[in-house]
Amino acid sequence: MLELFTYDFMQRSLLSAAMVGGLCSIIGVFVVLRGLSFVGAGTSHAAFAGVALAYLMGWPPLLLAILFGLATVWITGWVEEKGRMKLDVSIGILYTTTMALAILFIGLMKTYNAEVYGYLFGSVLSVTSEELRIIGGLSILVLGLLLVFSKELYFIAFDQEMAEASGIPARRIFFLLLTLVALTVVVSLKTVGAILVFAMILIPASTAYQLTHSLITLTLYSAIIGVTTAVGGVLISAVWDVPSGPAIVLLATALFFCSMLLSPKGMRSPSPAHSH
Amino acid sequence: MPDSHEPIIRFDRASFGFPGVTALKDISLSIHAGEFVGVIGPNGSGKTTLCRAVLGLMAPVEGHLHIFDCACEELRCHHRAMIGYLPQKGVVDRNFPVTVLETVMMGRYGALGLFKRPGRRDHEIAMEALAHVAMDGHRDTALGHLSGGQQQRVFIARALAQQPRVLLLDEPTTGLDITTQHNVIELIQHLHQELQLTVLLITHDINMIRSRVDRLVLLKTRLFAAGSPAEVLKPDILSQVYGKDLVITEKDLLIVEDYHHHH
Repeated sequence: MLELFTYDFMQRSLLSAAMVGGLCSIIGVFVVLRGLSFVGAGTSHAAFAGVALAYLMGWPPLLLAILFGLATVWITGWVEEKGRMKLDVSIGILYTTTMALAILFIGLMKTYNAEVYGYLFGSVLSVTSEELRIIGGLSILVLGLLLVFSKELYFIAFDQEMAEASGIPARRIFFLLLTLVALTVVVSLKTVGAILVFAMILIPASTAYQLTHSLITLTLYSAIIGVTTAVGGVLISAVWDVPSGPAIVLLATALFFCSMLLSPKGMRSPSPAHSH
Repeated sequence: MPDSHEPIIRFDRASFGFPGVTALKDISLSIHAGEFVGVIGPNGSGKTTLCRAVLGLMAPVEGHLHIFDCACEELRCHHRAMIGYLPQKGVVDRNFPVTVLETVMMGRYGALGLFKRPGRRDHEIAMEALAHVAMDGHRDTALGHLSGGQQQRVFIARALAQQPRVLLLDEPTTGLDITTQHNVIELIQHLHQELQLTVLLITHDINMIRSRVDRLVLLKTRLFAAGSPAEVLKPDILSQVYGKDLVITEKDLLIVEDYHHHH
C-alpha cells in the first residue's frame, strides 16, 4: 500500500482531499449552526450548471461555476433578508432551476462529455497540478477570511439579530458567509463533485456537534473529522478501487452514526431548562 | 461636552411601521441617564417595535429618534454597543454548542469592532460581568445545560460585557417560575443601582415592576400614558387600554384576560 504514496497523482489526490475536507468541514460549522444546510446543496447544483454552460460555450468552467454559485447564494440571501419567503423555499426553487439549466446545457452539447460528469460525481484521482494550485489558493483565501471574521461569524450563527443589535455589521457578515459557502463549493467540485460536496460540508460539522458544547472545540473537531475522512476515503478508493466521492461520504456518515451513539448530548438527563 | 440633563434617548413625534401597518404612532418620549423605565401595554401595542427602534434596527417613518444625540439612522457600531440588549426568551437553541463564557464573550465583539481579537482585558470584563450575575462558577458549562433563570442571567452578563450605558430588556421574566422571576427582577434592580445603568424594561407583568421603576410608559400604538407608577396605574387609564378584563385590589392590580369567562 505504501507504494501508492510514491505516485504523483496519488500525492495530488491526497493533498486536494485534505484541503477540501478541511475547508468544507470548517465552513460547515457555520453552515450547520446558522441553519444554511440546504444552501450548500443548492449552490453546488448551481455551480454545476455553470460548469455545463462553460463546456457548452468553451469558457473556463471554474469561472462560471463561481459566477453561478455566487449569484445563487446572493439571490437566496436577498430573498431571506426581504423576508418574502422562507430560505428553504427560495433555495429549493433556485436549486431545481439551476439543475434544469444544467440538464438543458448538457442536452445542447452535440457530443457526450465525460469531463462534465466528472464535476457532478467528482474525480479526485484525476486532479491536475494546476487544479491543485487553484484549490490551494482558494482554500487559503476562504480560510483566511473565516479566521479574520470568525468572532462575527460565530455571533451571527448564534443569533443574527442580537449580533446586529450589539454593533456587529450582521447583514454584511451574513453575505460574506454565503459568499464563502459558494467559493467552498466551487473549490470542492472537482474533488467530490456537485452531488456529494453538500455531505462534505454537512457531515463533519454535524458529527462534531454531537461531541462538544464549545464553539471552538466544535470547529477543531469538525476540521479533524473532515480532513481524516477525506484522506481516508481517498485511500479506501485507491486500495479497493471504488469511486472516491462515495468512499469519503460513506466513511463520514459511518463516523456520524458512531458519534450519535457516543454523544454526551444524547445521554444527558433533562435539565430544568428543558421544561421551558 | 453634552449636557448631563440631555436625554440619552429621545423620541420626537416618531412613528414606526411597515408599508400599510403602523406599529407605533406619534411617540414623544425622553429617557434620561440613570432612569429605570418600565414599558407596558397589551399584546400588539408596539412594545417590541419600541425595543427594535431603540436598538437602531428600525428607523422612524415620521418624526425623529435620537439615541446618544445621534439620529437613529446614523447610529454607528460603537453606539449600538452602548446598549446592552436582552432579547425575549426562547430564541436560543438548547443544543447550540456554546459555553457560558463563550456566550458572554460575544458581548465584547461589537465593542471591539472588526479585525480585533478579544484579549485578556476582554476576558476579564466578561468574567466581571459573570460575577455581577453570580454565574462566574459556571464559565465552562454548556449554555443549554442551565435552567431558564440561569440562562437569563448569562444573557444579562452578555449585555453587561458590552459595558453598556443602557440596558434594554425585552420581557426578561416570561417563561420563568415565580421565584426565578423575582430573582431576575431583583438582579436587574441591583445592576441599575450598582452600575448606574439606565434600564428600559419591557414587560407584561405590571405587578412585578410597579414598585421598582422610576417611570412607567404605557403603550397602545400611541403613547397612552407616561409618568410615575401612581400616575399611570389609574383605573380609568388602564381600563381604556386593557378593556374591562382588569381587577384592581387595594394592594395589587391584576390583569385577568379571561376574568369574564370565569365569573
